[in-house]
Amino acid sequence: MATFQSEKLLERLAADVRKILLQTEALKNIAEEELREKPEENSWSVVEVLAHLNYYARFYINAMEEQLDGHQTQAKPNFQPGWFGNYFTKVIGPSPDGVVKNKMTTPKDARPQAPLALDPKAELQEFIQHQHELLNLLKISRSADLGRIRVQISLTRFIRLKLGDTFRFVIAHEQRHFQQIDRVLKVVVGDAMMG
Amino acid sequence: MEEEYELLRQYLETIHPVGEDLWQDLKNCWHPVVYKRKTIFTAAGETERYLYFVIEGIQRAFFLGPDDRREATVIFTYPPSFSGVADSFLTQTPSTFYLETLTTSRLLRISHDTYQQLLEKHPDFKDLTFRFMAYVIKGILLRQAEIQCFTAEEKFRSFLARSPHMLNLVPHKYLASYLSIDPSTFSRLLATVKL
Repeated sequence: MATFQSEKLLERLAADVRKILLQTEALKNIAEEELREKPEENSWSVVEVLAHLNYYARFYINAMEEQLDGHQTQAKPNFQPGWFGNYFTKVIGPSPDGVVKNKMTTPKDARPQAPLALDPKAELQEFIQHQHELLNLLKISRSADLGRIRVQISLTRFIRLKLGDTFRFVIAHEQRHFQQIDRVLKVVVGDAMMG
Repeated sequence: MEEEYELLRQYLETIHPVGEDLWQDLKNCWHPVVYKRKTIFTAAGETERYLYFVIEGIQRAFFLGPDDRREATVIFTYPPSFSGVADSFLTQTPSTFYLETLTTSRLLRISHDTYQQLLEKHPDFKDLTFRFMAYVIKGILLRQAEIQCFTAEEKFRSFLARSPHMLNLVPHKYLASYLSIDPSTFSRLLATVKL
């Protein structure tokens, strides 16, 4: 199992979050109706994807903050990912060519309810806010032991991921859904607007 | 490694003399970092924590308009020079710009806290910084005047006289954006203007 240099990993993850922020900027220029439009009857609109990401961001940012609060660990030069961490990051991550090979079912509580009631502007704003919180946590974590601090996951209380893996997992999940947003926009807006 | 610091020292000396005392402190406060190409190392909305010194590679800062207007490249940085979103760094307020690497970049960086401490400890460093800022303002105002007064061809000529090497190193769409001329005008000038 590959070992990461802790600082390098945090830098790379921060760059990934910034790229997501840049992609989000492009969404601000898209009409609200298009952000609400489902490409197919059974798939999510952009605003539903954002609501879904916000649901997880609220959970994980809060969970990471809890664990970082008052922690007394020391930064280690290297980070050894855990088995579950690698596994989850891999299955939930983006695909190299943007085509999803492993479709997944979203847990019920993470499915946006009442999509018509979702406000695209508010979801976008919340999402951007979460990305800045993530960047801040990545910075703070430069002084933490990414392998020793463990964070609960949303699926079950029985698994706790290493802090370093939680970052990898959460950010990979966002990247996966930004590929989805790209695909949705190709249908509802027509030509690809996303970089 | 030594080489990078030597480059920094030489650069600083062109602005203001650097005494041995100051240099020993400076040397300990700048740390190397490498980013691969197309890495966003500061996002809009994020507060710039570092001042960078470029050893290798080209970076650009760009601004995204509030609506669908195209992005504007506001500055390029390349060795030997400072980089970073200067206004955000100095004011410690959120950046209006994105900063990204165009090519793989090797940089030295100093954190804002350390920078402040150095300013307080070394009046010479304060003088150096002040002098540098003065020249930066001179450059910005001149550029502002050129953007407003010069024709596309004059901007093109003036830029090439100043930074001819950039033509081969940076995608032309960014150069056109930096000069605030249309990309098609830029290619036409490139084909017709005798240098």
